[in-house]
Formats: sequence, C-alpha cells, structure tokens
Amino acid sequence: MGKKINLTIDGKKIQAMEGDKILWAALENDIYIPHLCAMKEQQQSPFAGCRLCFIEIEGKPRPVAACTEPALEGMVVNTRSESIDRLVEAGFNLIMSNHHIDCKICAASGACELQKIAKERKIRLKPKKLVQLDRNLPKDHSKDCIIYDPNKCVLCGRCVTACRTEGTAVLGLAYRGFERMVTTFGDIPLGETDCSGCGSCANVCPAGALIETDN
Amino acid sequence: MSNKSTAAATAFEQLKQKAAGTWNTLRDKPLIMVGAATCGRAAGAQDITKVIRDELASRQIEATVIEVGCMGHCYAEPLVLIQKPDNPTICYGYVSEGLASMLVREFIAGDDPCIEFALAAMEVNDFIPTFEDFPRGMVEKKVVMQHCGIIDPENIDHYIANGGYEALAKAIDKSGEEVVSEIKTSGLRGRGGAGFPTGVKWETCRQFKEDVKYVICNADEGDPGAFMDRTLLESNPHQVLEGLALAAHAVGASKGYLYIRAEYPLAVERIKKAINQAEESGLLGESILGTDFNLTLEIFQGSGAFVCGEETALIASMEGEPGIPRHRPPFPAEAGLWGKPTVINNVKTLSYIPHIIRKGADWFRETGTPDSPGTAVFALAGKVINTGLVEVPMGVTLSQLVYDVGSGIDGGKQFKAVQIGGPSGGCLPESFLETAIDFDSLNQAGAMMGSGGMVVMDEDDCMVEIARYFLDFTQNESCGKCTFCRLGTKQMLEILERITKGEGALEDIDTLLNLAKNVKTGSLCNLGKTAPNPVLSTLKHFRNEYEAHITEGRCPSLMCLNLIAYYILPDKCERSCDACIGSCPVESIFSNEDRIKVVDQEKCVKCKSCMDACPPQYSAVVKLSPPELVQEKENDNG
Amino acid sequence: MKLTNEEKTAAIETSQRILSNYNQEKGSLIPTLQQIQNELGYVPSPAMEVVADHFNVMKVDVYSIVTFYNQFRLTPPGKNQVKVCMGTACHMRGGNIIMDSWKRRLEIDCGETSEDREFSLDRVACVGCCTQAPVTVINEEIHAKVTPTRVEGLLYAYQLDKDKENKKAGEDN
Repeated sequence: MGKKINLTIDGKKIQAMEGDKILWAALENDIYIPHLCAMKEQQQSPFAGCRLCFIEIEGKPRPVAACTEPALEGMVVNTRSESIDRLVEAGFNLIMSNHHIDCKICAASGACELQKIAKERKIRLKPKKLVQLDRNLPKDHSKDCIIYDPNKCVLCGRCVTACRTEGTAVLGLAYRGFERMVTTFGDIPLGETDCSGCGSCANVCPAGALIETDN
Repeated sequence: MSNKSTAAATAFEQLKQKAAGTWNTLRDKPLIMVGAATCGRAAGAQDITKVIRDELASRQIEATVIEVGCMGHCYAEPLVLIQKPDNPTICYGYVSEGLASMLVREFIAGDDPCIEFALAAMEVNDFIPTFEDFPRGMVEKKVVMQHCGIIDPENIDHYIANGGYEALAKAIDKSGEEVVSEIKTSGLRGRGGAGFPTGVKWETCRQFKEDVKYVICNADEGDPGAFMDRTLLESNPHQVLEGLALAAHAVGASKGYLYIRAEYPLAVERIKKAINQAEESGLLGESILGTDFNLTLEIFQGSGAFVCGEETALIASMEGEPGIPRHRPPFPAEAGLWGKPTVINNVKTLSYIPHIIRKGADWFRETGTPDSPGTAVFALAGKVINTGLVEVPMGVTLSQLVYDVGSGIDGGKQFKAVQIGGPSGGCLPESFLETAIDFDSLNQAGAMMGSGGMVVMDEDDCMVEIARYFLDFTQNESCGKCTFCRLGTKQMLEILERITKGEGALEDIDTLLNLAKNVKTGSLCNLGKTAPNPVLSTLKHFRNEYEAHITEGRCPSLMCLNLIAYYILPDKCERSCDACIGSCPVESIFSNEDRIKVVDQEKCVKCKSCMDACPPQYSAVVKLSPPELVQEKENDNG
Repeated sequence: MKLTNEEKTAAIETSQRILSNYNQEKGSLIPTLQQIQNELGYVPSPAMEVVADHFNVMKVDVYSIVTFYNQFRLTPPGKNQVKVCMGTACHMRGGNIIMDSWKRRLEIDCGETSEDREFSLDRVACVGCCTQAPVTVINEEIHAKVTPTRVEGLLYAYQLDKDKENKKAGEDN
C-alpha cells in the first residue's frame, strides 16, 4: 500500500492510492457517485447493500458497484451513461418507495443524503410508478437526545457500525427481507437499553431516521 | 511411494473382501427391501416393514428385511423389492399392508410371485418386464442414482461391495493435482444450479498454499418442490462422503462439513451413521487407509433460510452470523470459511466424483452434451401421472421427461407449461417441448437448471399465480441486505398481487418488466439476480393471461380466488342430494324453494369443497370467471 | 407475550446446561441456539442473553440471528404445532386454501399461537412429500391430501382426545 496509481474517471485523469476502491478514489477527487452504505474505514470489506454506486468500467460487460471494485492502474471508468443512470434511478426509487417522506418537517432536511442524490441525479423524491411501502412502525422517543423513526431508515447499516466503534453497541440489524430493520435486543426502546446517547448513530445516518435533539 | 500404494491397496482389499462376504450372504435366503426414504415413510413404509416382519415371524420363515432408500418411483410408494433365490428380483409398487402380508404368504412362503402386483423386475427374465422395457427406462440413465433404493444406506458394506470407496482407494495414491485434472477433463459442472465447472473451482482452491482448507457439501436444498439431494443423502450417503473425501484430497483439505437443511432429519441421521462407519473402516479420520491423508467430517445443520444455499451466506451462517451473502470476490475457493480457501459443492456434484475417478473422465463425457456432460437428476412433480425422481442424460427433451418419464398429464387435461429450476427458473410453454435440456439451452430459454425441480402445469394452472407464488417465495426468503432484492421483489409482488386480484392496470406490465430487469442487474447475489426469472418467462410466453386478468377481470385457468366464483348449475343440481351443503365449512350453501342448491357468494370462501363433494354424475358445481358471471346467470334463470 | 418466572428459570438453566458442552468458538453459536430451540420449543430472551454472554458477542447480534432464521421461535409454540406445507406441489393443489381453512378454524394467523396455547400455526417450505399434496404436518405426523373438510375432521379428533383426557383427569381427581 501507499503506492499511487493513475486512472480516468469521466474523462478526468486522477490519482488514487493503490488498493482504494473506485468510490473513494472518485469522491476524493470531487467526482460524486451516489452512495448510502459505504464507509471508508470498511472499504476492504464493503457492505455493498444500497446498490446505488453503480459505474461502468471499460472492458467490463456489466455495471459494477464502485464500492467493491478496486481502482487499478490505467482503468477507465464512467459514472454516467444512459444505462447506469437508469439503474441508479431504479435503485433510488425503490429506496424512496420505502422511505417515509416528510422533508418539510424533517430535521434532517438540508443535510439529507437522499435529497443530495435526488438533486445530483435530477430524480424525483417521490417515485412515480411504485406504491409506497409504508410499514407504519412506531417512532422511538424514549431517549432524550435521540429520535429514531424506522420508517425513514434505508438499512445502510452505518449506525450499527458507529454504535460499535463509538457507542455502547446496542444497535443491530435484525429480521429478514422486507421486515429487516435496525433495532435493539428484543426490540426494546432505546431509553431502556444501555445506550449512552453519544449520538454517533445520528451523525452517520444519511436519511434522517436517527436524529439527535437538543435535549 | 510404491510402499504406500501397497499399504492403501492392501487395506482396501481387506475391506472389499469383507463387504463382498456381507453382500453375497444376502443372497442365501429371501431378501425383502422396503423403500424407506422420507417419501416412502410418508406413504407408510414403516408400517409395511412391520407387517412383513410380523408375517415372517408368525410363519417362522428365515428371510432378511432391510430398509433401503428411494429408487425415484415416488408415484408408486410404498415400494417393496423381493429377491428370492432362483427368481429375478421383483419390484412391487403401491404396497398396502394387505399386499405386504400376501407377498410374504404367497411368494416367500409359497411360490407365486404375484406378478399382477409387480411394477417391474430388476433383471431380464422370461415373464416380468424390467424397468428398461418401459418408456421411462429407455430415457433413464442412472449414475448417481444407480444404487439408490437397492442397497442398505446404513450399511457401508453394501456400498463397498458395489464399487464404493474404490475411487478413494485409487486416488489416495495419486497426487491431488491428478485428481483435479481428471475432474477438469471430465467437464463436470456444478449441479447446484449455475453450472460452474467443478474442476476449475478445485484448481483455484488447490493453488493456495495454506495449511488449513475446508471442503463443504452444500445440502441446503431449499427449492420448494426439489428433493433430489435429500434422496441421495438418504439413499446412498457414502457416495456423498466419498465424493467429499476425494474433493478434500484433491484440494489439500483435512476438514470437511456437510451443511444439511434442518427439515431433513432422516438425512442427518443417515449421514451421521455413515461418517461413523467410514471412520471405523479407516476410510475417514486419521491416516486414511494407512496413508498420511487425514479428513474429519462434521455435520452442520441449517436453520431454515433459503438464501443459505448461496455459498457466502452458507459460510456466514457457519461462522455464527445471519445468512447474509457477502460481496464476491473473494470467492470461497480463495477465502471462504474463517477466511480459508474453501470448496463448496452440491450433493449431486459430489456424488458424481467417485464415478468419474473410478471410470475416468472419458467415460463421463460419453453421456450428455459436449458442454454439459453427464446426467441430470430431476424431481418431476405437478400434473403428470408419474411423479418422482429421474436421472437422465443431459440433452433429453422436455417432452421425453413429461410424456415418457411422467406418462403424460393427469386426468386427460391439456399440457400448458413446465416450470424448471424453482424460484430462480422459468416457465417454458409447449413450443419448448422438443428443446434438449442442458445448462446452456435452459439459460437461453429464460429458465435455469437450478436444482432440478420440475413442475408440470396444465390448463388449470394460472401462470400469473405461479409467478406470484415464486415471487412470494423469494421475497419471503430475501435476506434484506440489498435494495433491489429487498424492495424490488416486494414491489414486483405487490403488482402481481394486484393483477391476480383483478386490480391491475396495463401499465403495470411495463413497470413489472422494468423492475425485473433492474433487480436482475442490480442485486448483490444470485438469489436476487435470478428472482425475476419466473415473472419474465411467464410474461414472455403467457402475456395474454396477464392481460385477461387486467382487462377482463378474468382468470383463464379459473385459479385466482378473487376472480372466480362457485356456481351451482340449477339444471344439473339433483335437488334431493345435499352433498354440497354438508361439505361447506362456512354454511354458505342453501336450498331454495325448488330445493335447488345455491351458493351465498357473500359467505363463500372458495375452498372447492362443494365441487369435490358434488357427485360426478351431476357435476353441478362450476367455477365462473369473472365472478360477475354469477349475477348474469342468475338473471338468465329469472 | 410475558414469560412466567418458571419459564425464565427454565430458559436460563437449560441454556447453561447446553452451553456447558460447547467451547466459545463462534461456529458453535447457531448449533447451541438450535439445541435450545429443540429443548424449549422456542428461544426466549433470557436464553439469548446467556448465549451472548457465553460467546462474548453482543446481545443484539444473537437477536439478529434468532430473528433471521425460520427455525427459531421467539414465543412458545402451541401444544399442537400445525404446519402447512407451502411447497410448489402443495400450492398447486390448493395449499393456500388449506392454510385459509386452518386460519379460519383456529382463529389465528400464520406464525401465531392460540390464546389457550393449544395450537400454533406455521407454514413450511416443502417437506418433500410432493406426491401426497397438499400436506399438513401436525406435530410430527404427516397428513396427506388434506381438504377443508379434513381440517374440520382433524380438529374434531383432537377435541375428542382432549375431552377424553379431561374426563380421565376429572375421574382421577
């Protein structure tokens, strides 16, 4: 490691550290690729769940996720093309069909990663052809300083990692399939757990599902 | 080297002689074999065994009774094979307790083989046809199923006496590299679904110079309607173990696991016994056959998650995690269980290995097609007359499977489609009946070999409903990690549910196609990537059925409950009979002033009981679609 | 569903006994949970806490496993466990109609246990008896070719058995 390599992304010649994934090479060179679940500390074993960072690499037949592909010397990458844009939009639409949209009163509005993606890629926030898949789960107000609204969660898993590195490891991902959710042991409210209220989960939440309050 | 070779060969020769002794003495007196795999047991095989034992005891007849596995003729369960000196071995089907005691009385005690109840003979003779004489027998070619149902799965000697463990004894003196190269030359492709070349997988794993490597047998057969892995584990467990041992020798592993689905308790029990026996015989464990090759095998039971059939999810669950797939690469052959190089092969794939090593790659290539050599095992279910398991050469046609093996469609109905490959596969219509089946032709046709589950459908099966069923399955089994699979399949399911309820719109079809395409491209693992196949293939071949649901509110196959109504034809109702009234679980049928029976549509739960209860000579109960037709009919009748 | 104190104690004691046969390697985590499920019929919270402690993992990670796999139950099963097969062959022969019949008769949804804990209703993905479709498994017994009227019959038979038992118990007292 530590060696620099050269590659081209969207026609721009850039340098990256050998071993870095393309997503981070791009982001660090001001080329935006939509992403929700990626965390640089974990780039060697990426979560690869949000499926938004699709790119095309010349010589590869299919789109690949930028968070899982290592940047290699001489590589030519495109982050935009008709088919990539369509795939990313489809993924984003799916996420939004399961995200409770209330931007007007949402505390995360303005700092929200979903809004950013919508703006960058010119995608409507509310998908047109899909039904809204609301689960109507109760909001958790039990902790003074944190509000958790599972209906906004995009299951990126970043809060779970943050809770383990900086907090008291009360958060986890449980259940399966459409029922999957960020939760605590036995689904008990945060206020009844060992949660220290450090707020690191809210800091990394891209979607306003975990919000730190002033209390 | 030559010393070692002698040691292993000598050790094995001794085992072989002992096994031959056991096997040959079986022929000294009458031998009765009862098919007692899970399918046989469900049909009452254990009661049959008891009846036979009691009957023999009460007559004080010397005979051996053993429980064997499954020959694949599941339609005729319970099966009994009788081998009596000076007679051909005869197979009897549909054996009831009465027939079982009669066979003991007439054939074992007496001299009458009761030919009229025989399904077929196992060897050529003058009076009873063999299985090979039937259309099924002409298509069938047994390799991995060769000994299923005719040896005692709980007796290692039976396996050894039939050529078992010879491949291991032969390979143990060769280098792992030679074994890998033989498998590569054979062109064997993984039978778990995708058809990846087994030899290439092994070679990758072998290349890694690591002290610890693992081999895993993937027996997490989760495809609803497929049970060939279960049958192989239950009927010939040693064949799988030998395959796994050969894999371990080839790649240089000394620890192996069998990952078996929790729903298969009998398979677990038989594999456990088989491992113990093989260890006692020096065919597993420390210094196998006196060489420096060690291999310990362990069973890991699955906990009920279809996604664990995916290699990386399977590994995650063995490591004490939820079965959630990881990004590949690295592939398990490079970094698998606990980060070590790991070969994962399906039960069927491993079962072929001993045969290939024993008879050679060229022998294997003689069967099948150039790109998909060998045979395939299919579980034939659905609306065919003869359901069951069958092993056929790759390259047979669908029509041979449906008509020659399955004996055609049940009840004189019209063939509609074959669903191959389960939740990852697709539905193929009549025009594909003459298509030769192998890995590649199925992929091109929009289906998939998958695990080999094959469900035949007739005119009464709604293709939209089938697509909905499989989507419901994958959606339920999605791990929930990635966006496309978790939400994409859910959105698709929502649309399909709307359509089967008659609430769909024509533009839903386009949305469905788009979702399908994106879920295929965008999903992280193969569960998601293949989940849209049932929808895509039915949309391609049966779009008219989707349209009938949407535009006419009609289910052409009269299957979708929301779009049908049960109606009693007044001119056919035999007034004085009230079979339907008694059968209705919700009291929705009443008698009108003319004593004609009428269904109260508000109360009816559409359970079909009345239709089944109505005596066939009247056949007064019919299904109507769209349900509004009931009103029309009632108006017509004044 | 609230656990009684006896249930809590049983859960902890059973788990500890099972765990005493296992080392702390994480590969044994799921086999341990399976054994607890086999003995208790479900995996209650106190058991999960004991397991988490033994393997030195977070409680929520054990919860994550138990909620992920079909095999594990969080609530005690009914005295009679009704499992309706939802495999392809059963589905095509009306498995969903049979499921509806059970739901209607037991007045519970799939995955639930009746108020009196007599019955629980679950779906299973193929028990491999496709030729006998549609199939319902009650406790360990496989019932082949089930119809809605057969559902009534099976329940009636259970009711009769129970009445007999109650009567016998009454007489014994």
